[in-house]
Amino acid sequence: MEILLNLKNRICSLGIPLHAAFEDIGTDKTVELWSEIFLNCGQIMKEQRLDAGSAWKKVISENRGLLPLEQADWDSINDFGELLGKSDRLNQESVLDMARESIALLEKKAEEAMKTKGKLYRNLGALCGAAVVIVLI
Amino acid sequence: MWHEKDGCERFDELISLYLPERIKAAVRGIKHEYLEELEELRIRAGQPLMGVFAGFDHFIGKDGFLSDNPQFALTISSKEVDNLFMLLCEHSVYAYQDDISRGFITLKGGHRAGICGTVIYEGTVIKGMKDISSVNIRFSRQIKDCARDVFGYIVRNKQDIYNTLILSPPRCGKTTLLRDLCRIVSSGTGVTFKGLRTAVIDERSELAASYRGIPQNDLGPRTDVLDGCRKREGIEIMLRGMAPQVIVVDELGANHDPDAIKMAWNAGVRIIATAHAYGLDDFKRRLNVGQLAAKDGFERIILLGMDNGKRWVKVIDANGNELSGLVKGDRMPDGIHGMHSFRDEAFVKSGREAACIIKTLGDPA
Repeated sequence: MEILLNLKNRICSLGIPLHAAFEDIGTDKTVELWSEIFLNCGQIMKEQRLDAGSAWKKVISENRGLLPLEQADWDSINDFGELLGKSDRLNQESVLDMARESIALLEKKAEEAMKTKGKLYRNLGALCGAAVVIVLI
Repeated sequence: MWHEKDGCERFDELISLYLPERIKAAVRGIKHEYLEELEELRIRAGQPLMGVFAGFDHFIGKDGFLSDNPQFALTISSKEVDNLFMLLCEHSVYAYQDDISRGFITLKGGHRAGICGTVIYEGTVIKGMKDISSVNIRFSRQIKDCARDVFGYIVRNKQDIYNTLILSPPRCGKTTLLRDLCRIVSSGTGVTFKGLRTAVIDERSELAASYRGIPQNDLGPRTDVLDGCRKREGIEIMLRGMAPQVIVVDELGANHDPDAIKMAWNAGVRIIATAHAYGLDDFKRRLNVGQLAAKDGFERIILLGMDNGKRWVKVIDANGNELSGLVKGDRMPDGIHGMHSFRDEAFVKSGREAACIIKTLGDPA
């Protein structure tokens, strides 16, 4: 989320081209894995003259193994770069706001999943404990 | 045009950085002797690729073959124009939205791409452009020392210059000359002329050709550049903050320009400016700006023209008295000019509109 705010500032307020904005964010090592992804994406855009959508997809596909996300999450992250850079500042602001909302939703889903699974594993643990006790008796 | 080393490098950079593959291959296939004279590359969706070589239009084939027949030319698709536009914007349209709404993008190396498409308005103000249909890449050319001969005529003494106006029809080299005059005024010429603090109001980003704030052209060590600013506001800002001795502006013509110029003169600052005109009389007839050539106005007028590929320069004083009759020997190299010598007499004679009109008007003296 912080990265997106940072990106929004660089795009909408400062008007820095995407490859430079990505590289700037990439050099900020606060969120290490994502920093690496942004840095790579910026470099690919600059060196291979690719648009943000293609560069982003390329980097994401190379880094899939590094993040514990599900297929549906990858699908929504994959499309993140698609609309970047293709319109004026006002529209880019909307695009980034949408991305933030989408990530917030992913976070919420992950939290709920964690809660549900946590409860499930707790119950499972208790059942297993009971089973062990029964077997021992 | 690309005789200077940095010019060649800047041209190569432009080709490799910005052009889509097919167009790049076509331009790279153009014979070197013709490529040296390439001034503009005109890329239109659904139309043949065209170049302007030393003032003459030619269609460009996919392997770089030049022809007057559009059938032999590489036809550009709308996707290629889109792709080119995105490459020119570094895939970041928002970063260039101010340039786009002004109709051009300044590129790395000082080149400039004019763009056409569907204009988007917000109220009465142009907000941007969409559905880009054509792009005109104009190659920047800083020709150092091209103003060396003329410079002597605008020097008042070793610490001062005359207020100077450069007049010519379009595409005769006004801006190129102005850029070099600026560089020489700022740098100085040693003992005979000390450099002066120079301020450039680069309204159309053509003089300094600033790319992301960095001037791509050499305007001298004592030069401050105000990029993309209107002349009136720019002159006021410079007078207030930078204490210049000389202010350089390109293309006078707007209604409020005379007031801005007079404001500078009242502050004791010299002006070097350019304007589109076919001669001094033509300029004097212009509404508003014409008054600047009257008494107490510009003291030196530099007139430029072109006749069959041969550039000429004349310097006159405010009364129209000729101070020089320089005919520059920079006839276009034989390449393109030679091609045209095989054409019918009328075409060859037409040369450039500029030269013909100047002759018809009988001006300069």
